Amino acid sequence: MNGFGSYIKNIFETVTTIFEGLAITLSHLVRRPMTIQYPDRLAKPVQETLPLRYRGILEVDLDICTGCLACERVCPISCITIGIDMNKETKQRTFGHFDIDICKCMYCGLCAEACPTGSIRHSQEFEGASYSPSGLVRHFVTKPVSLYKPKKGGETDPTMAKKVEIGQKYLDEFATPEGTAGAGES
Amino acid sequence: MKQFVDSLIQQGYFSGVPTQIVYAIAMIVAALVVLSVFVAPLAGVTSWLERRVWARMQSRVGPNRVGPQGVLQWLADGIKNLLKEDLIPSAADKLLFPLAPYIVFIGFLCTFVVIPFGGHLIVADLNIGILYLLAVTSIVVVGILMAGWSSNNKWSLLGGMRSAAQIVSYEIPAGLAVLTIIFVAGTMSTQGIIKNQGWAPWDWYLFYNPFTFIAFFLYFTAALAEGNRTPFDIPEAESELVAGYVTEYSGMRFLFFFFAEWGNLYVIGAVATVLFLGGWQVPAVGGGFIEGALQFMVFFVKAYLWVFVAMWVRATLPRVRVDQLMALCWKYMVPLSFLCVIGTAAWMVVFPHGSRWASFAMFGLGVLILVLFVRRLQYQIRNAKPELYLRPYI
Amino acid sequence: MSEAVYPESEVFHTEDMTISVGPQHPSTHGVLRFVVRTDGEVISEALPDVGYLHRSIEKIGEKCTYHGYVPYTDRADYLAAMFANQGFCMAAEKLGATEVTRRGEFCRVIACELNRIASHLISVGTFGQDIGAITPFLHALRERETINDLMEEICGARLTYNYIRIGGVGYDITPQTCDKILVFLDHFDPIIDEYNRLLSYNKIYIERLANVAAITKEDALQYNLVGPNLRASGVKWDIRRDIPYSVYPELEFEVPVGHGEKGTLGDCYDRYWVRIQELQESSKILRQCLKMMPKGPAISKVPRKFKPPAGEVYVRVEAPRGDMGYYVVSDGTEYAYRVRIRTGSFTAMAIIDKLSRGIMVADLIALIASLDVDAPEIDR
Repeated sequence: MNGFGSYIKNIFETVTTIFEGLAITLSHLVRRPMTIQYPDRLAKPVQETLPLRYRGILEVDLDICTGCLACERVCPISCITIGIDMNKETKQRTFGHFDIDICKCMYCGLCAEACPTGSIRHSQEFEGASYSPSGLVRHFVTKPVSLYKPKKGGETDPTMAKKVEIGQKYLDEFATPEGTAGAGES
Repeated sequence: MKQFVDSLIQQGYFSGVPTQIVYAIAMIVAALVVLSVFVAPLAGVTSWLERRVWARMQSRVGPNRVGPQGVLQWLADGIKNLLKEDLIPSAADKLLFPLAPYIVFIGFLCTFVVIPFGGHLIVADLNIGILYLLAVTSIVVVGILMAGWSSNNKWSLLGGMRSAAQIVSYEIPAGLAVLTIIFVAGTMSTQGIIKNQGWAPWDWYLFYNPFTFIAFFLYFTAALAEGNRTPFDIPEAESELVAGYVTEYSGMRFLFFFFAEWGNLYVIGAVATVLFLGGWQVPAVGGGFIEGALQFMVFFVKAYLWVFVAMWVRATLPRVRVDQLMALCWKYMVPLSFLCVIGTAAWMVVFPHGSRWASFAMFGLGVLILVLFVRRLQYQIRNAKPELYLRPYI
Repeated sequence: MSEAVYPESEVFHTEDMTISVGPQHPSTHGVLRFVVRTDGEVISEALPDVGYLHRSIEKIGEKCTYHGYVPYTDRADYLAAMFANQGFCMAAEKLGATEVTRRGEFCRVIACELNRIASHLISVGTFGQDIGAITPFLHALRERETINDLMEEICGARLTYNYIRIGGVGYDITPQTCDKILVFLDHFDPIIDEYNRLLSYNKIYIERLANVAAITKEDALQYNLVGPNLRASGVKWDIRRDIPYSVYPELEFEVPVGHGEKGTLGDCYDRYWVRIQELQESSKILRQCLKMMPKGPAISKVPRKFKPPAGEVYVRVEAPRGDMGYYVVSDGTEYAYRVRIRTGSFTAMAIIDKLSRGIMVADLIALIASLDVDAPEIDR
């Protein structure tokens, strides 16, 4: 009779656990789904909801780049190539090319941390699809730009001051040895 | 339908043509109409509904872009697959490989001639209706075996063999459950079985006696196994055999197998409705056209409910292993179905015209099970936390 | 199997077929291949063939600075990237005798335990999917999405974090993020119960997994299994308890060990159940950490050119897939001389052949899923 008992118990257990499972999935059917319909049926674009720390595709603000080449040195995969030309007569240094290969980039953030002014940083952009591999190399130098020299005692020019402030905001996201009780306000 | 054609002959059409030819042509035309107007869109919409139902059960949305709410997704899939390259592996059997999907299709399409869509809406009211249906659905086994063998791929072969074993084994509980109802109804014709039931739930054969109640669940499980649906979808087990017997198929041939599977769901539902749920019976409304339309709607809703249940079960349950599947069939379902047959036969000796009390008692039991289920469902919904969004997306 | 046992004239001649599970297969947990010899259902031999995902991460360690190598360790096991980061950073800190700030340690534990929950969610979810239940996988992924969002707030990336740096962590965890983590934990604890009712207590699921491929205690120790695989066979070994590191000695948590819940000790169901219990334990650890977080800097001062003195060190962390060991040899320059990563999945490959004799193909899939092997960990 023990065998018969376990036979009936098997049937009973199967039926009750299936019952329970069916109730759970039906309860999910009548609830709202969690997914959001990307990209066109959203209240606001996803890029605006991402935090400032989000490590999207790199962008460079050449106006505040000092040309120290710290980012090129620290990148573990050598995706940043910077060329600086020296004009012999005026002794001015300008950027020849500043290329970032975003398909090699590991999105690790080491270059953004190494930058003294915060000119290279991760944007909130993540849609970087292109039709050819050469389209995946971002060229940031369109016209020759001279290197930025940070002024002592703060920046006086208002547009430049704004750029410096934005760069500093990105830099504040990183933890520093002097920081206390949570970096940044957001 | 026979009366309709008779009335047409009496009115003078088709004079000079022997009546048998007229009947034959009428039957072929009716079958083609049913297939193209009903079956093809039905299988397609079932595929869309399956994806939507799965998606909502998995907390996501499912296809909702092509057409209103995505209803035309199947058209888009069909067109895409038609435009694909027709690949036949070089080592595959040149005759059997293209032929296999069609055999599966034939096995599934032939069942539609005996399914009654309404009081007089049936292509051919054979007096061996149910037996014909069981026989014809077995042709699918041949098609699957051909697909597995001719692909010249060990995975497909495994899938085909497993499927053959599975379908052939589960014919037995399905056939015996059907036999239970044939005992009660006294006829194998589908219209006859429906006419012997009533429109009220306690007049259905489902609640006729406890043995038919069990026979219904046995039939449904066995039919799911015959249709290769989870929890018995081992032949096309995605995670084990890549795609089982359809591994080498691509494009429209691939879709044919799934077309047959989704349409087969409707056949399962329709047969379950015919046998157990009273078919198209409606309370007397009077009037030819309204009654006909109402009967069609009632039958369709009852049959499609089981399609939904099959999708629901597929989304919930894991797969059984092959030896467990065989053990389930031979050790659990076959003895139970024999019990149902013998029990019903004994019941018919004791109560030759059925027992109203037993019907009401079984109906009460059915309602009780439904109420318990709904309470469990309410408990789930009450305890469900609303979805957690940490960011203001919406 | 009738290989050479009976003379051919007496018995219908059959042969075993050799099929290859993978490398393109929906459920080999990455790009793995098994050469399986079977007579149709019962396996007589299953040899793993690894190396499809080899990216020579260990060789790259000799070409990168210590700071620059940390993003590479993310990719050594992308489902448990925090632990890989932590292992390497602990090794570098030991070599360079660098202190880690206290707040940094707590941030590390928070991030690691969140990552453990995420990794185990994938593990149990894909386990259900391999057995055929497709819905629990998506429910698990839905919860993991919230963890991904939390990680995005903490460190800016969803999968390859580069969060744990030498000397502490890269970004600080703000109080708002701590609140969100608590909200998530309150939301998550009942969900494990719902998941269990949907999948773990399901009779079909239990029938598939109980008594399948049981690993005895002696076998587990001999074959050098680690992590939940080892604990499910009854051995109570957890690096966080036995070779403690970071702030784990101050935290209270249980180490779940398999008991033969629904079948023999050490079968597939035990390995699955141990992971479900670890989800609950991680939730407990997280709550304690969030309460005990001190104030202070999150990273200590480490020179930009990190040049540890010559030496070698072996460091172990309790990753979700077992104990991940980092053996780092330094020769005094800013590039490591040798980095060797020891992962639990690689050693788990060895036991698959022994266990798979005599089980069916479906059970082989269940076995691979229960060992929670991860192709990037195996091949590095």
